[in-house]
Amino acid sequence: MTVLLATEALVMRFGGVTAVDGVTLAVQEGELRCLIGPNGAGKSTFFKCLTGQYKPTSGRIFWRGRDITALDPFAVARLGVGIKTQVPSLFDGLTALEGVVLALRRQHGERESRHRAMQALERLQVAQLRDVRVGLLAHGQRQLVELAMVVAPEPDLIILDEPTAGMSAEETHRAADLIRELNREHAIVVVEHDMQFIRAIARTVTVFHQGRVLMEDAAERVFADPRVRDVYLGKAVA
Amino acid sequence: MRRAALEIAAVVLVAALAALGLPQVLELFALINATVFVSMAVLALSLGLIWGYGGILCFGQTAFFGLGGYAYAVAAINFGDTTLAVPLALAVPTVVAAALGYLMFYGRISDVYMGVITLTTTLILFKFANSTAGDEWNIGSAPLGGFNGIPGTPPLNWPFDPASQLAPEQIFVVAVVCLALCYAAARLILRTRFGRVAVAIRENELRAELLGYDVRLHKLALFAVGGLMAGLAGVLFANCVFVSPTMFSLSYAGQVIIWVLVGGLGTLLGPVIGCILIQFLTTRAGSFSAVDPNLLLGVVFMLAVVVVPKGLLPSARTALVRLAKRGGA
Repeated sequence: MTVLLATEALVMRFGGVTAVDGVTLAVQEGELRCLIGPNGAGKSTFFKCLTGQYKPTSGRIFWRGRDITALDPFAVARLGVGIKTQVPSLFDGLTALEGVVLALRRQHGERESRHRAMQALERLQVAQLRDVRVGLLAHGQRQLVELAMVVAPEPDLIILDEPTAGMSAEETHRAADLIRELNREHAIVVVEHDMQFIRAIARTVTVFHQGRVLMEDAAERVFADPRVRDVYLGKAVA
Repeated sequence: MRRAALEIAAVVLVAALAALGLPQVLELFALINATVFVSMAVLALSLGLIWGYGGILCFGQTAFFGLGGYAYAVAAINFGDTTLAVPLALAVPTVVAAALGYLMFYGRISDVYMGVITLTTTLILFKFANSTAGDEWNIGSAPLGGFNGIPGTPPLNWPFDPASQLAPEQIFVVAVVCLALCYAAARLILRTRFGRVAVAIRENELRAELLGYDVRLHKLALFAVGGLMAGLAGVLFANCVFVSPTMFSLSYAGQVIIWVLVGGLGTLLGPVIGCILIQFLTTRAGSFSAVDPNLLLGVVFMLAVVVVPKGLLPSARTALVRLAKRGGA
C-alpha cells in the first residue's frame, strides 16, 4: 500500500486560536477515511489546509511523498484531487452539463469532455438535468451535480466536506451508497459530523477534538469508545 | 451556436452599411462625431468584456484608453509615421494592464478594492497628464502639453507612407472596422476554453480554482485583453479629436460604466448600443444647450436602472421572446 496523502504535525493558528493543533495523518491509496468530530473540532480548517485554501502555520502536507504544503488550490486539484466543499460550489449561471464539461476541459478536448460529462451525470442519476441552469436546482440536486463535477475527471483522491449537509434522509442514504461505490475506484476522505452517515460508510475513522486527533481506528472500535461518546455529548475528555 | 452566428452576421452587415453609407450622407462634422462614438464604443466593449463576462469591475478602463491615445500621439510625432506608432500604442496599455492586473489578482485584492484601485489609477494619470505643461515634459519631439494635451496629434497614414494621411471619411471606416473586429474577437475569445473558464470564474471563483484552473492567470489575461481593446479605442479617439487629460477623467471613467449598465451587462452588443445611444442623446442635448448633458446622463441612468435594470439589450430580448410566444400560441 502506498500513502497517497499525508500530513505531518500540521498546525493552523488564527491569532490566538489554534484550530488545528499538530495533526499527523496518512491516507492510503484506495482508502475510505472519515474525519469526524463535533462542531469546532477543527475538521473544516484541516480540510481547507489539505486543499490549499489555507496555508498552515507549521507542519507539512505530502502527496505521494512530495511536499505540497505551499501549493495553491488549483495546483492541488491538478495533482488529481477532487474537492467538494460543504456549501455546494457551482457555476450557477451555467447548465449542469456545461459545468461538468469545464471540469474535464483542462485534460480533454471538447467532444471527449462532453461525452465524459454525460457519463458522469448519468452515473449520479442527474442526466435529465443536463440543460438546466444549476442556479435553479434544488439543494440535493446541486450536491449531486457538484459531485459529478468532482468525480468526472477521475481523481485519485476525492475530499468531501460534509457531503450530506442539508440532505433529506432518503438523499443521505443514496449518498452513502454512492460514496461506497465511488470508493471502488477512488480513495476518499469524508469530513462529516452526521454519525448515522458515518456508520453507513466508514471503515477507518479519525476523530478530531479541539484541533487534535483524539483517536484513529476501525469504525466499530471508534463507535464503541466511551471517549468519542463523551466528546459528542460535550463532556470534557481527560 | 446559431444565435451567435446570426449575431455576428448582423454585426458585420450593420458595420458594412455604416462604413459604406454614413460617409456619403453625413457632413464632415457629424462624421467626425460618429467616429468619436465608434471609438468610445470600442472602449465600452472592452469593459463589457472584462466586467460582463470576467466579473472584473474596472472603474478605470479610461486609464488604458488614455494611455493608448497618448502613446500613439507621442510615438507618431516622434516617428513621423504612424505605422509603428499603432502597435506601440497598443502595447503600452496592454503591458500596464497586465502589470496592474498582476498586482491586483496575484495580491488577491477583493472586488471592491479593485474598483478603487483602477479608478485611482486613472485619476492619478489624469492628475499627472494635467501637470505636464512646460518643456521639461517633452518626450522626444512630442510635448505632453499639460491641460491642453497634444492638439497636433497626427492622423493615421497608409502603412510606411507618411505623406498619405487618411481623410476623416477613411478614419471613420477604420474605426468601424476596428469595432467590428473587436466584437468578433471578443465573441471568439468567449468560445474558447479560456473564455469559458473566464465566465466560470465570474460565476464561482472557488469552484474554478478547485477544478484546477489558475484563476489569477485567467483574470490577468482577460484584463490585459481589455486593456489592449481600450488602448485601441484611445488610438481611434486620438485620430478624430486629439489626446488630452480628459481621456483619463472621472467623467469619462463614470460614463463607460453607465454605457455598459444601460446597454446590458453580460452582453457584448449591449455596451456598444448603450454607448452610441447615450452619446447621441447627450451630444444632441449639448448642441441645443437646452439641458445640461450631465443632468440628462444622470436621468437616463436612473431611468434605465428603474425601467430596464438588466439593460436595454437583455430586456429587448426578453420582450421579443415573450411576443414570439404570444404570437405562436
